[in-house]
Amino acid sequence: MVRTLTPGLLTWRRAPTITTARRMVLHAMIGAGLLLLVRFADWWFRADHVANVPLFVVLSLAVWYGAGRIVIGWINVARMRIPDHMDAPSDLTVAVFTTSSPGEPLSMFEKTLAACSHISYPHTTYLLDDTRNPAFRETAERHGAVWLELTDLPGAKAGKINAALARTSENFILVLDPDHVPFPNFLHRVLGHFTDASVGFVQVAQAYYNQHRSFTAAGAADQTYAFYGPTQVGLYGHGAAVAIGANCTFRREALASIGGHGIGLAEDLVTSIRLHAAGWRSVYVPEVVSRGLVPEDLGSFFKQQLKWARGVYEVMFAELPHAARSLSWRQVLSYGAIGTYYLSGITAPMYLAIPYVYLWTGVQPASMLFGEFIAMGAPVAIVAIAIYLYCQQWLCDGDRERGLHLRGLMLKIACWPVFLHGTLLAIIRADIPYIPTAKEAVRGRFLRLAWPSLLLLLAYFVTLGYTLYDRLLRESAGNLMLSSQAVWGMMAFATVSAALSGGGIYAAWQARNPPTGATWDDIQLEAIQCDVVNA
Amino acid sequence: MRRRKRIALTLASMIASVGIVLALIFAGTASEGPFARVLHTLGGIVGRTENRAALRLRGPGRIQELGWLERYREDPAVTMAPDTLLFGVFDDGIPATLNGVLALERATRFPMAIVQMYGAWGDKPVQQFPRTTLDAIHAIGSIPLVTWEPWLTDFENSKHPSLPLRADRDRGGLQAIASGQYDFYIDRWAAEAAAFDHVVMIRFAHEMNDPYRSPWGPQNNEPQHFIAAWRRVVDRFNAAGATNVVWVWSPHVAYAGWEQYWPGDEYVDWVATGALNYGTVAHWSKWWTFAEIFGRHYPSLAGLNKPIMIAEFGSVGVGGNRAEWYSQALGNLELQYPQVRAVLFFNMRRDNTVTYQAIDWSIAADSATLGAIRRPLPAPRAPNQPAGN
Repeated sequence: MVRTLTPGLLTWRRAPTITTARRMVLHAMIGAGLLLLVRFADWWFRADHVANVPLFVVLSLAVWYGAGRIVIGWINVARMRIPDHMDAPSDLTVAVFTTSSPGEPLSMFEKTLAACSHISYPHTTYLLDDTRNPAFRETAERHGAVWLELTDLPGAKAGKINAALARTSENFILVLDPDHVPFPNFLHRVLGHFTDASVGFVQVAQAYYNQHRSFTAAGAADQTYAFYGPTQVGLYGHGAAVAIGANCTFRREALASIGGHGIGLAEDLVTSIRLHAAGWRSVYVPEVVSRGLVPEDLGSFFKQQLKWARGVYEVMFAELPHAARSLSWRQVLSYGAIGTYYLSGITAPMYLAIPYVYLWTGVQPASMLFGEFIAMGAPVAIVAIAIYLYCQQWLCDGDRERGLHLRGLMLKIACWPVFLHGTLLAIIRADIPYIPTAKEAVRGRFLRLAWPSLLLLLAYFVTLGYTLYDRLLRESAGNLMLSSQAVWGMMAFATVSAALSGGGIYAAWQARNPPTGATWDDIQLEAIQCDVVNA
Repeated sequence: MRRRKRIALTLASMIASVGIVLALIFAGTASEGPFARVLHTLGGIVGRTENRAALRLRGPGRIQELGWLERYREDPAVTMAPDTLLFGVFDDGIPATLNGVLALERATRFPMAIVQMYGAWGDKPVQQFPRTTLDAIHAIGSIPLVTWEPWLTDFENSKHPSLPLRADRDRGGLQAIASGQYDFYIDRWAAEAAAFDHVVMIRFAHEMNDPYRSPWGPQNNEPQHFIAAWRRVVDRFNAAGATNVVWVWSPHVAYAGWEQYWPGDEYVDWVATGALNYGTVAHWSKWWTFAEIFGRHYPSLAGLNKPIMIAEFGSVGVGGNRAEWYSQALGNLELQYPQVRAVLFFNMRRDNTVTYQAIDWSIAADSATLGAIRRPLPAPRAPNQPAGN
């Protein structure tokens, strides 16, 4: 793994335009995919495929949850739309908000605040600070930023934003995460869209500069590429581009109309839904005009995912039902799709368990011919992968982001206990338990992060050993050959899931020694390359 | 130009999308598609590899015990001219397991040299050539026998538009087979049978002279059409190089006139018939001895000069003494009916093919019957010893 900053990261990138021909090709692929999926469904739901009714129902739910999410993804990308660039009017008043909290490294703010001062559109940078550390004030002011002390506010970041809104007057507010380095042309690429008075917020892509630092960072970044490319571009086409909390520029009037920035674990999503429900439009600009940090160690990643899972469910339970009446059906579908992502915390263990249940008890959910399953399912899978790859031409930074994103997949699989935890917490309406920052023994941390994957691996090898012993030495000759395909087919499934869980174990192993050194020191602001149009 | 380009693009994308769908549907169709085929082959390799490994670890076991059968299993000429009385079984655990076969073998102490299975014609995956089952039978050291039933209505019109509608297929069905309408299916079996490469016995369209049971009976067909169909099938197999197939012709001797169905000496390797005593389970049945069911027809069957097989051999326990029935049938078999070279137990626990309530033919749990028929294993003969000694 390369441990230096990948060249070209600090260059302004954007997704290419969508030509009619390419959109038609995409529609043809989606059409083919839907037909194949109908064929697969027609075959799947045959009564004589049911071997065990409860297990078949469970398996079907898992399979068709996955297929349903794929279809929603297709519906989404079918309407991909990239807005034409609009030149920024010269007379807008703009604030850039970034927040600092106790424990965050000062040197990171040196970089961020310096980069903010390089943003070429006239603006005022505000540091929303509750560190009670005078050095932060000094640093902010040295870079020409306004220091606002905002301590003891409920609602963490969103609370500070709302308090800062009350103390400022600019009409447009860019909310920037403190670990993000904005490029000089950031505001120029965004502000023009506010010429349309109905636009409430403009979101740009989130991109990273530390994905080379660990398996977790690479996998976590992998998981975001499609979202900030084809997915958000599609959401925009459906009138549902969502705010991500960071890199989002709001119209003050819009925030005021919903009583300020939403508060909670998924404050970005709440704000987004409320703005859409209040009738504001949103714009998504698929461009890399800043780069920031993605979690580098598995523990931080799990913590982030748990927060998001719990937060997103909260939005689904508490926010979306109220807002649904004021939203378009496309917006409801889009937000609903975001909300179902974490259900894989329930379906993943089902998939994982099926081969083991069969190999130890002989009970299987479905009596399908393996060959038929492949014949029916593989075309759907092939088309789904083809669509995924085809859509990668609309990634923001295709050269660096294209690929099968297997590390992202492995990390998602490793996350199922986290997603499940978040799901259960949301159902019983419990808060996320306080997770102390790891200061314990290295070994303990590895086991704490990797135990589900290690257990799976242990189960796999025990099962493999037992199956070999049982079949080669004990299974009756009358059964041996006639059961061989079913048993080894299931073992093949178990092998795939065991192999994929290897990624999570590797990530946890790496987390014993997280990368050291301040990544932001690698960023040379002078190296940022971007054309500032209409400067 | 712009409009023309649009129309061209629309057409191109429509054709492309239809093309993608067709290509994929074609690539993945039913059990004959290339995906399925590759998987099938792969599955076969896995099964055979595992079996070899198990044999190496456990020793050859039954294959060695049945070592004298090796010649039969590999050389069709030996199986066509058997020099000993072979036992065998149809067990209703097939194709899920052969454990029932092995259990009956232990109970009777007769080596089950032939294992019978039933296969119906049709489109479904279970109606294709049962390679896995045959491999499994071969792997335990026995000879497989497939009773191959031409149920013509299991072919779907959507897949075979040239076939008559389902309702019209049974009438004259054998003539349709003879005319080549079903060659697509026969040829696939023939090729797979050839690829199996060990001896496999096929009992095609059995009880063709029974007007009540099966659609290939005389209610729908003329005897000459049966003969033509039989010859067509055998010819197609021979053309495919499936010379490892041993053909078993099997009329129902209780119905007169079965001789009219004889396809000819060069088209038949074995002659078979059933000998099932239904006792008093149904109003149409009474207790018949083996001699009454089979013995009185033996001379005419023997006149065909082929080895004779009792393909379905059994008695219920209702209406008489079952143990006595078996011991009478088997006690003097070789002397009384020297041309009988195979007896296949009908080990079916729940048979409701001809009666309303299920009949239990199995004897594995009937200690009286087992005691009556148990005897020392027929000694394997030296290969060069002439038959009948």
